[in-house]
Parts: sequence; C-alpha cells; structure tokens
Amino acid sequence: MAHFVQAIALGLLIGGVYALMASGLTLIFGVMRIINVAQGAFLVLVAMVTWWLWNRTGIDPIVASVVTTPMMFGFGWLSYRLLIARIRGSSPSMSVLLTFGFALVIEGVLNLTAGNKFKSAAPSYFEESFRVGAISLPKAQVFGFAAAAGVLAVLYYVLHRTWTGRAIRAATQNPSGAALVGVSAAGTGALAFAIGSATAGVGGSILSVLYPFFPASHYEWISRLLGIVVLGGLGSLPGAVTGAAILGLAETLTATYGSLGWSTLVFYLVIMAVLLVRPQGLFGARLREDAA
Amino acid sequence: MTAQPPRSPARRSRLTLTVAVAAALALTACGQRPSETRASEVDKPIVIGISLPLTGDFAQPGSEAKRGYEIWRDMVNAKGGVLGRQVQLKIVDDASNQDTVVADYTKLITQDKVDLLLGTFSSLLNYPASAVAEKNRMVFVEPAGGAPDMFSRGFKYLFFAQPATAPRQADVFVNYIKSLPEAERPKTAAYPSQDDPFALPVIKSMQTQLEALGVKTVYSEVYPADTTNFQSVASTLASRKPDLVAQGAVFEDGVGMVRSLKQLGFSPKMLFQTSAPSNSSQYSDGVGLANTEGVFYTVSWNEKATTPLNAEFVAAYRKAHNAAPAEDAADAFAAAQVLQAAVEAVGAIDQDKIKDWLHANTVQTLLGPLSWKENGEPKGSFLLAQWQGGKVEVVGPPELATSKTVVNPKPGWK
Repeated sequence: MAHFVQAIALGLLIGGVYALMASGLTLIFGVMRIINVAQGAFLVLVAMVTWWLWNRTGIDPIVASVVTTPMMFGFGWLSYRLLIARIRGSSPSMSVLLTFGFALVIEGVLNLTAGNKFKSAAPSYFEESFRVGAISLPKAQVFGFAAAAGVLAVLYYVLHRTWTGRAIRAATQNPSGAALVGVSAAGTGALAFAIGSATAGVGGSILSVLYPFFPASHYEWISRLLGIVVLGGLGSLPGAVTGAAILGLAETLTATYGSLGWSTLVFYLVIMAVLLVRPQGLFGARLREDAA
Repeated sequence: MTAQPPRSPARRSRLTLTVAVAAALALTACGQRPSETRASEVDKPIVIGISLPLTGDFAQPGSEAKRGYEIWRDMVNAKGGVLGRQVQLKIVDDASNQDTVVADYTKLITQDKVDLLLGTFSSLLNYPASAVAEKNRMVFVEPAGGAPDMFSRGFKYLFFAQPATAPRQADVFVNYIKSLPEAERPKTAAYPSQDDPFALPVIKSMQTQLEALGVKTVYSEVYPADTTNFQSVASTLASRKPDLVAQGAVFEDGVGMVRSLKQLGFSPKMLFQTSAPSNSSQYSDGVGLANTEGVFYTVSWNEKATTPLNAEFVAAYRKAHNAAPAEDAADAFAAAQVLQAAVEAVGAIDQDKIKDWLHANTVQTLLGPLSWKENGEPKGSFLLAQWQGGKVEVVGPPELATSKTVVNPKPGWK
C-alpha cells in the first residue's frame, strides 16, 4: 500500500512540473495557432542561465526564476516582434519550421558558449526528502510542484479575470470577432508569446535542479511536452494540466508495477487511445475550420 | 495552389557562381597532386588518413579523439617521426554520418592515396568504415567501437585498440568480487540498465557471471535512453534492498539514479555504474562530491596509470588544452601507438606485414598491453576504478592498481 501511495505521490509531483513546462506551449498555440517547437530550447536556455547564476553566486535556482521569468518575457516579446510576427497568417506548419530553426540556433549558441557538457544545479536540498510516514517526497520536486502550482494559478487568473487575459482568450476563440471589438491581433499575439515564453522561466529553473541537461536536451523535452499538449487538447490549459498528470502517473505506475522499459511508452499508447475516441484531445474544443 | 516563382536572374547567377567556384576548387585540387608526388620517397611525410565526427551527435568525443591523434603526431614528430619520416594527419569530418564516413575513407584511400589509416569514433561509424578499409586491404586500427557486431565479420585488417569489448568490460569487477571472502560478497543484486550498446552488454554479462557465483538477482530491467525519472525504480529498490546495484548508466541516468536512491533513503552496500562515473567533475557535480565515495566503474584508461607515455600524454594534453584529458583522447592516442609500433617493427609501410605483425604481437600502450584475436577483438581487460575521497583510483586488476584500499561496503549517502 505504501508503495502504491509512493508511486502516486511521485507521479503527481512530476506531473505538476510537466504541467508548468507544457502550459506555455498550449497557451501560444491557443492564441496564435503557432506550434512553438522552440519551447523546449527556451527551457534549456533558462536552465543554463539558472545553472550559471547558481554556480557563480549561489543564488537558489528556484528563487532565480524571479530573474529569469522577466528575462524570458522580454525574450519572448522580442522573438515575436522580430521573428514570429513575420509568419502570422501562414499555416501552422510554417511555425513549426521557423521555431524549429530557432531551437537549433539556441542549441548552437548554447553549445558554443556553455559547451557540450551535462550540467545540473545542486542546491543543498536537491537530494533530500520530506518524510510523511513511509512516504518520501523529494524536496526539489515538492518545491518545483509548488512553484508550478503558483505559476499555473497566476496564469489562470490572468487569463480569466483580467482584461488582457480576456482579450487573449477572445483572440483564441474568434480572431476576427476580437479584432472587430478592438483587440489588436498583433498586440495580443506578442503578449501571449511573451507570457508563454515567461512560463519557461520557472520551468527551466526547476529543470536545472531535477534533471541533468545539456544543449541538445531540448529534443527530449519538446517531444514530451507536445505529447502532453496533444493529449490534453491543443490550446487548453486545464488540458495541459490533466495531460501532464496522466504522463507523470503513467511513468511512475508503469515503472513501479510494470516494467521500466515501458514507462515512457505507455504514455504514448494512452495518447493514441484517447485520440482515436477524441481526435481533439481531452479538453480540446473542435474549431469551426476543423469541422468543415 | 501557389505557383512556383520563376527563377530570378539573381538566383541564376548565384547558381552559376557556385558551379564556377566548385569547378575552380576541383581544378586547384587536381593541380596540387603532381607536385606532391614529385617529392622523393624519403623526404615525403607519412600521411595518415582519418575521418572523425567533428560535428553532429558524436562531436564531443570525436573532437577529443582528434586531440589524442594530434598530441601523438606532435610527440612523434618531435622525436624524428616514424621510419625517419615526419607524420602528417589528414583529418576530415564525417558529421557523425554513416554514409559520409564511407565516402570519406573511400576518398582518403583511392584519391588522396594516404599511406596509413586510423579509425573513427563509435561502433556506428567504425562498422561501415572498417568495411571500406578491409575491402582495400588497409590496416584499420580503431580507438572506439567495441560493439560485438564489429567482430562477427571475420575481418583481417581490423584492430580494436582498447583492452576489451563491451561484454568483457565487467570481468574485472566480477574478478574483484570473486577475490572477496564468501561472507563479504553481495548476496543479492539489482541490474537496471539503459538500452545502450555500451551499457547493456556489460550489465547482462555481469549478471550472468554473478548469478553463476550464487548472487541472487532481485531486479533486472532495461529502460530506453529518454528515461528521466528514476524515483519509482529507486522506490522499488528501496523495498527489495539488494546488496549490489549494478546500473548500465550512460550519464544522466546514472546521476538520476544516485539522486533518486538518496531521495528515497536507500544506499546499497555496493554501487557499480558502467560509464557515468568516468565523467569526472560532471559526475561529481551531478551527484554531489560526497556521494561519489565508493562508486565502482570500469574504464579503458586512467590518468594516473604508469603505462608507457601516459605521463607525457597527460602533460601534453594539459599544456595544449588546459583541461583534464578525456578517455576518448587517450584511446585515440593508443590507437596511434599501436599503428606506430607495428610500422616500426615491420620497417616499412606494408599493410599485410603490419596486419600479420599485429596478430602475432603485443603492443605496450598507455592503456596497458594490447593484443588481438584473429577477428580484431582485443584480449585484455579493463581497469576497475573507484571513487575514493573525491578522486578516482584504480583498484583492479591488482597489478595495475593505484590504490591498495578498496572502499567496501560503500558508506551511506552524506
């Protein structure tokens, strides 16, 4: 029984972190129909900056997200204005090409500046655990989960309770309608891309503590994040959270009760099964153009 | 839907320019060859053709191999070269691509007409590259490529310049366990391994050998390379409490396992990982220096080993690159030592004589003595290394040990 509770707890903690990492991806897709393949590279970029700050100054990696989040907001805003804005209105496949190229550039720059070596931040608590009875809750994962929950709550609040958020959601649901009532498509686009990139601030900080990384790690992360977002429904924040929880639980339960070799595969089997029944994903709304 | 735009004049002229430049380059290349061949045999340097993955997936180890070859060349040339001739390396980049490496070695042999060859990095690339060399009857000494498939083809000109292939790498650890009194041997063991050609065969072979010694297997799982979460495995291990955890760990999975074991509060009496712990500071930074104490691994080379030219190699590497030398560089250096020894013993650049000599003799290298079976598979043994007091010591085989003490059992996590 304790073994089972342990597996569930670990799965949910991991899922929380995955949810945070996937939230930026689903937000950007929801508003602009842009699949930001560079989101994984953003995470690795932040992880590298966080590691560097931690290594030089000893500043706690999760606290460092106070610095990296605004940094990524600015980085996202600039990227949108300089790069992404040029392909607005093109098909989503253009965005895949452009952002993939962007990811390769980030990887290359990191290779040249930081070197092709594994790094991982090791603050004092990185391998300690909270004990609840027989259950171990790794501190880094608990802190990561807490930070993720905080960011997701703020994101949810912004999207649902502020004018800016409503404008972003309006642009998601009906771009021409939103434009008619005075929502600037370019403005909300830049803002949504900046917010989506900013989530990589906390996500990357947590990544630097939980997982060893190097410049090419972004491939591994983007495939996982795309899986989560597709399962949850492209563009849906609750979908990303649910998809991430399913991935976390699938990984730990399969590794505990099935075989370790299947633990990453089972998640993709779940995706296939869900997509057969619900092609739009768990929380995905069918768009009018999909039905046509 | 969208019409193909007509070719713009600018683009057409760019194309013409490209063709012209390519033609010019080809002509220049043609023009150089006669002047090269005009030089007399004795003054002419010995040219060794090498293709290496300097870009792409294996760029990091490939660049280390390049450093190893270059340090060897500089050392040899400083002492007057080989057979009285200076050595020149012709190194080309294969971008970690199997097709490119075949084209590279074909060109090196047939067009550049190099005198000798040295191998590339990884089994993936050496597998097709060695076939090109074999077909052209050129000796192919390769520094990294110990997958069993390499040696199942009955090649006569192939030599793997490391002490052992993957399935034999664990032997030195098994021998250490055999040397322990019955009571101190592990009773139970767990074998998680990444599905990797250099990790899995090591762990599988160790499991078979230890089971024959009566060590009970309580866990055995293979996981794919993209596995990142090891806490559920650690949780299972914590409940089964094996005396020995032997992990086929490439790198990040090894760090992830140690971190997870500590988080779940389980410290085995013995911990063996295949290659992760050989990544010096990357490993100790990842798991925390104090947690490295007592971790075992096997390795082809050690910085402190008192083997021929090792100290000189280490000094030259440090001077040239201002960093601790990497195993991949040492392996390349050893491959070059092997070729050099054979050429000097034969006294001529005669591929068949070099091949026969290598099959019949043992070469002293900075990895220790190397000798080969008919199929090019090495007959030696790896070194058993252990982290002790924040440093790496060789603890086996006994005759090559740099430390007489072996930390066993491993202390708990710090």
